[in-house]
Amino acid sequence: MRPPRTTAVRPPRTTAPRRTFALRPSRSPSARLRRTGYLFTLPGLAFLALFLAYPLLYNAWTSVHDVGLSGLLGGATRFNGLANYRATVSDPDFWHAARLSAVFTAGSLLFQFTIGFALALLFARPFPLNGLLRSLLLVAWLLPPVVSGTLFRWMLDGESGAYNALLRAIGLDALSRDWLIDPGTSLAGVVFANVWVGVPFNMLLLLVGLHTIDPELHEAAAIDGAGAWQRLRWITLPLMRPVSVTVLLLGLVYTFKVFDLIFVMTGGGPVDATSVLSLYVYEVFFRFFRFGEGAAAGLLLLVVPLLAGAGYVRRLRREEGAV
Amino acid sequence: MPSTLDRRALDRRAFDRRHFLRAAGAGAAALGTAGALASCGNSETTEASGKREQGSGETTTLTWWDYFTLENFQPGMTALIEDIEAGVPDVRIRRRTFPFADLERQITLGAVSGDLPDIAIVDNVSMNALGGSDLLADLTERVEEWGQADQYYEGPWAGCQVDGKTLGIPNTSNCLALYYNTEILRSANVKPPTTWDELAAAAQRLTNGNRFGLAMSAIRTEEGVFQFLPFLWQTGGDLDTFATDGETALAFLDDLVAKGSLSEQCVGWTQQDVNTRFVDGRAAMQINGPWQIPTLEKAADLEWSVVALPRDKESATCLGGENWVVMASSEKQDKAWEVLEYTQRRSVLVPYLESFGNLPSRKDLADAGTWASEPAKRLFLDQLSLARPRTYGPGYPDISRDVADAEQSVLTDSAAPSAAARTAAGKIDEALERR
Repeated sequence: MRPPRTTAVRPPRTTAPRRTFALRPSRSPSARLRRTGYLFTLPGLAFLALFLAYPLLYNAWTSVHDVGLSGLLGGATRFNGLANYRATVSDPDFWHAARLSAVFTAGSLLFQFTIGFALALLFARPFPLNGLLRSLLLVAWLLPPVVSGTLFRWMLDGESGAYNALLRAIGLDALSRDWLIDPGTSLAGVVFANVWVGVPFNMLLLLVGLHTIDPELHEAAAIDGAGAWQRLRWITLPLMRPVSVTVLLLGLVYTFKVFDLIFVMTGGGPVDATSVLSLYVYEVFFRFFRFGEGAAAGLLLLVVPLLAGAGYVRRLRREEGAV
Repeated sequence: MPSTLDRRALDRRAFDRRHFLRAAGAGAAALGTAGALASCGNSETTEASGKREQGSGETTTLTWWDYFTLENFQPGMTALIEDIEAGVPDVRIRRRTFPFADLERQITLGAVSGDLPDIAIVDNVSMNALGGSDLLADLTERVEEWGQADQYYEGPWAGCQVDGKTLGIPNTSNCLALYYNTEILRSANVKPPTTWDELAAAAQRLTNGNRFGLAMSAIRTEEGVFQFLPFLWQTGGDLDTFATDGETALAFLDDLVAKGSLSEQCVGWTQQDVNTRFVDGRAAMQINGPWQIPTLEKAADLEWSVVALPRDKESATCLGGENWVVMASSEKQDKAWEVLEYTQRRSVLVPYLESFGNLPSRKDLADAGTWASEPAKRLFLDQLSLARPRTYGPGYPDISRDVADAEQSVLTDSAAPSAAARTAAGKIDEALERR
């Protein structure tokens, strides 16, 4: 949008003499407009500074200081360079947690996405009760993680859990076990719960994506003789690629930092079989009170979601640029 | 594919996707905020409404934090605060409660933000972490002047001492003992066990179908460690001999699990879960504390009794309960101490402890309240003289995790007792030196 050219020959406005820049021979109205624009970003900037930049910088400051419980009051904390990072990186528990986080995230994303995609394909076509069922599915996503975690903890219980009862009912007694107690299956158990929580979110976003595909494409392909499978393979999937990448990036950000669900279900146990990075950081902070190391580990934990977030923002930009 | 159609479709897609991406982003942001808001713990601020004091001097308002959030504690706490405000001249109490797991964390956060109470009632195990932190006021001189230290049971009092300084006053104390279902034991003709061998034999004989002989908590928190430490101490050892005595204790429990007398699921049970199983008759015996007595009394069909924990080389049980502390940051320490001293008077302490269903930490109150006449409470009170505090210094949080991990890896068959004990012992020794 260009400003009207006539503005330049109009006399300076008298209603706003306070604003000095209005009295100066303004370079161009668009510059003034831009300056006003910056003014409007102030609340947003203040919000970011207060609630994002400050805590982050404080965390970064903590991560290079020797901060424990002692000395918290007097503020007698010593700068110790990268010692906290070194301690974190040389802690085998940290790498164990990082591996668990990777497995947890990859497992969750894989199933969330494929099941979500399948459900999106289902709900993309009209059928009776479509809207109702879709809303009901969303409940899984809307439940507070503490509730869903407790629910799954109970259902996966070895003695009185619903899943073991189901397995026994269909004659698969051999498979029934203490899902969350057995170190071999507890991670699978929390992934299972997290998939259940994440499927509706994936489905909803993918469904919106599916609606953006022009039905004429499918019609044209059908006329050309393409079957349902071929249309999925050669039209839906390629056209859904950008949306899918976005959904996976967002999913990665969410899944990587999941804390409450696991905390409620297993508390990181048995032993440390489900102690993912977020739980590791929590323990360093609030069980061992090594705030410096906790801050360092927290910043390291931030790297993956930050990269994913950057990827997401880049995609967003590119999409906007394309218009 | 026809190119015009393609072009149009792409345009529409791009437009729609932009909106989609925006909406997704906004949804994501909103979700994040909502999550953060939801996770903020709910704490209530209670202004105790006491009688107006008669004193003419300036009124001092003391902030007070505790973790007694449950409804059934409120009448007793309100009565105590009213009593304090009436009995200590010119003092008002502003009380704030936090969930049990949040109090210690809130104190550390408060230390950063400068928002700390004058008085707090903290779990006795918190003395390890808080004791080394300069957060707690040194009460040594005041206590000496007061001269009532020898009225307390040894364990609870020792739990308030850090590096030779008195940093707190015991609020209430408890410990662990062995509950048993009298009916089940009678019909199986089993006597309550007094030694490890008897315990193992009894647990095996009492195990039947859906019912386990013994239930205890081996969860991966302090709760599980609280239940494990007595076994370690009963071997005659302590944390500094974990490699050998830890192995003995771990092997004993491992054996119980291997024989099916103790459910492997105990690695996920809180002490509350354990009690639920005992009440349901799914466990013939349980290790638990006196705070379960009210629940057990309510279970109409349940006949139960309680004995001391079985011994190996020694008798031992673990001390639980809370301590009163004054914060070093408080500018009203004199008044805070006055309040603490007041709460320890017989006429104040007895009704307060009775209303909580708690046991006193003072020997001179042993014959004063309901605990004197009720056999179950009496048993726990007698055991208090054997109860050991977990005073191991600032490294204790690490030790606690190492012990829990060792126990869990043995009970879930991830490691043999000897290997688990050796691994843990190395880490424990390191943490014990951090003084």
